[in-house]
Amino acid sequence: MIESGSSSGGWEATGSGSPVSTAQTTGRYVVVFEDGAEPQETLTAAAGLSSMADSRDFDSQAMDMAQTEGSEATVFAELGIAVVAIDPERLGAMQTSQAARGAIVDVAPELIHHVLTEPADYLRGYRDGVNDLAGRLGGDEDEAAGDSAAQAGPSASFADNDEFTWGLQATRVSTSSRSGDGVKVAVLDTGLDATHPDFVGRDITAASFIPGASPHDGHGHGTHCIGTACGPKAPSGSRRYGVAYECDIFTGKVLSDEGSGSDAGILAGINWAVANDCAVISMSLGADIARPHPPYSTAGRRALARGSLIIAAAGNNANRPGDKGFVGAPANSPDILAVGALDSRLRVARFSARSLPGRGGQVDVAGPGVDVYSSWPMPTRYHTISGTSMATPHVAGLAALWSKATGRRGLELWATLAKESRRLPRPSVDVGSGLSLAGW
Amino acid sequence: MARVSVSCSVDDEHLPSIGAVAEALRERGLDVAQVLDGVGVITGEVADDRRGALQEVPGVLSVDADLPVQLPPPDSPVQ
Repeated sequence: MIESGSSSGGWEATGSGSPVSTAQTTGRYVVVFEDGAEPQETLTAAAGLSSMADSRDFDSQAMDMAQTEGSEATVFAELGIAVVAIDPERLGAMQTSQAARGAIVDVAPELIHHVLTEPADYLRGYRDGVNDLAGRLGGDEDEAAGDSAAQAGPSASFADNDEFTWGLQATRVSTSSRSGDGVKVAVLDTGLDATHPDFVGRDITAASFIPGASPHDGHGHGTHCIGTACGPKAPSGSRRYGVAYECDIFTGKVLSDEGSGSDAGILAGINWAVANDCAVISMSLGADIARPHPPYSTAGRRALARGSLIIAAAGNNANRPGDKGFVGAPANSPDILAVGALDSRLRVARFSARSLPGRGGQVDVAGPGVDVYSSWPMPTRYHTISGTSMATPHVAGLAALWSKATGRRGLELWATLAKESRRLPRPSVDVGSGLSLAGW
Repeated sequence: MARVSVSCSVDDEHLPSIGAVAEALRERGLDVAQVLDGVGVITGEVADDRRGALQEVPGVLSVDADLPVQLPPPDSPVQ
């Protein structure tokens, strides 16, 4: 039995061995209407149809399909879709008519669908052979960067160019028109060097949660992460390295210039970001403990419920291929999204931590985390480093783009990131749902 | 007696009255530093042998010693 459905159709091995679409059609057409268009009016005006069955005429819109058989069109009101019986000539006239403009979105042949079954014997053998080979090539125990034979899959290879970092290309930020305009993104880290020319003119709110320290970044890590999440669209004399170039930056210094911090400052930073209604809270920090830390779980749960999605680094405690590491705190809390790191060939980074078995300990998505170019305190200006710390702000910036484009916050925004990621032939314990992507 | 920095997580039911929870913790020996009402956590310092007593306060889900976080140095290739 050939399976069929939508435009990809079914497949069968032809003599040349390549798949061929063999979708069967009914001779009718499926018409999709614009939101707000009235299907019956449109079909009358565009194609002169008069005999139409409409789901609204039936109790609870349960159409009696036997009653609809003689109609020229069957209208599914809730979906804004109709199945229309007209010949190809009248179809052409309908599509080009004045009435169709702004009312009809799409017309496609009505397909016949079948129950999905196992392929025929000869195809089964072929399939089993392919699966065996793929299993040998893509073996998940040896997927470390540098062990290229073990990480087969679609060949991906990105590189920094004059215009964009490899990471912005891989995540499709380079071809996206989005900016995250007006979305508040909090980055809790070592602070920001606000004298950096690339942040001039940006909407920046700064606070320090380190006693005795100003919000200034005397380490570098914070400026680098903020650059990745929020850096400018056209930095002077540099390739672009930042994702959400029009977001509102909330920089919370929760780590000292020596790179150290603790719960008190970090929780205060989270509280501040939530109180300021930040949609995204980026945390490229953590402690190597293999179970959720209760205050982070509490804070994460409440932040998420209030529309602030916390995005944290999975951790750099792996040394692959042998040691896979584990997701530390706060990333291993259930309501905190954990980010793993990929290199420019979309392989799991040597240091990127693997999911813990318990609830919350999963790596949720992955981002560019090897040889990431971004801003650095002056006068150095730019620097290239690696880490799940670098993957995290990529995802934070992408979250800002998606939040602006969809209006989503909290758990819905989390779901959007998982949905809109490039699935990779890597173990999900290492990459979650894959490489987070920008929309158009 | 050594003093330790702790975070006291407050349950949902007591969130609206977090101030009262902080007061009760103070009475049992917590030197309250912050009452973070947005996320429902109270931080402060307490003598090590009185940590258990803090756990008994109604509304307190958990009392946890501060977890230190440390980044690698700025010149480290992996951060």
